[in-house]
Amino acid sequence: MKPEHEAWLRLREHAASQLSPGFPDRVLRAARADPSPLFVTQFAMCIATAALCLFGVLLFHAQGSAADEASNRAGWSEISAQASDLDQGL
Amino acid sequence: MRELIVAYQRRVAGFAYAITGRSDSVEDLAQMVFVKMARALGRLKAPEQFESWLFRLARNTCIDHLRRQKLRRIFTPFAPEHENVPEPDGAVDSEELDALRHALDQLRPKDRALLALVQEGRSHAEIAETCRTSVAAVKARLHRAREELRQHYHRDET
Repeated sequence: MKPEHEAWLRLREHAASQLSPGFPDRVLRAARADPSPLFVTQFAMCIATAALCLFGVLLFHAQGSAADEASNRAGWSEISAQASDLDQGL
Repeated sequence: MRELIVAYQRRVAGFAYAITGRSDSVEDLAQMVFVKMARALGRLKAPEQFESWLFRLARNTCIDHLRRQKLRRIFTPFAPEHENVPEPDGAVDSEELDALRHALDQLRPKDRALLALVQEGRSHAEIAETCRTSVAAVKARLHRAREELRQHYHRDET
């Protein structure tokens, strides 16, 4: 018999002593309860949240860019109008 | 179902303890294993392979638990004094068990699982299937793990 053999037996005994009375009934109750969300579900929720945040950032950025572009266009139109007025004046 | 839990609870608890080395997580892990078993038993196609299937479930549950713990520590690192919390008083009641526990602690979780599967009487072919590897690889890893365990066990004992 290997020297560790006795130790393995003790290990199992010790581990078994950690189970409190009524363990099988508690397991059965837990098994009947609603299953906790799967990792895949949790991961999908994370991806969906990240996608929503990214969409929000892009939308905010796009709106900001559009406003900047409109203001730049207006500025350039004004400069262009002033330049053509000056041309006509010459 | 209750009979199955009663019949295997001691073995599954011992198996979980051998892999995690923590008395305080044995009951939670054993419960997780049996809950998974209860929910998936209907999908087991070969009832004669029940025992092998149960210990595969137990091995994966314990390895996942250790992996999650490791991942959690990346985000919420423990203070140095919390890294290695000793077993509660009276948790280890014999020198042999203490030596084995310390020796197992020096091995990688997958090697601990390998040795625990052997202790549960699983064949090399079953272990290879559980670990998704070849029988030759199992034999080689097992030989290495046994040698390592023996060295640490005798070092702790002396």
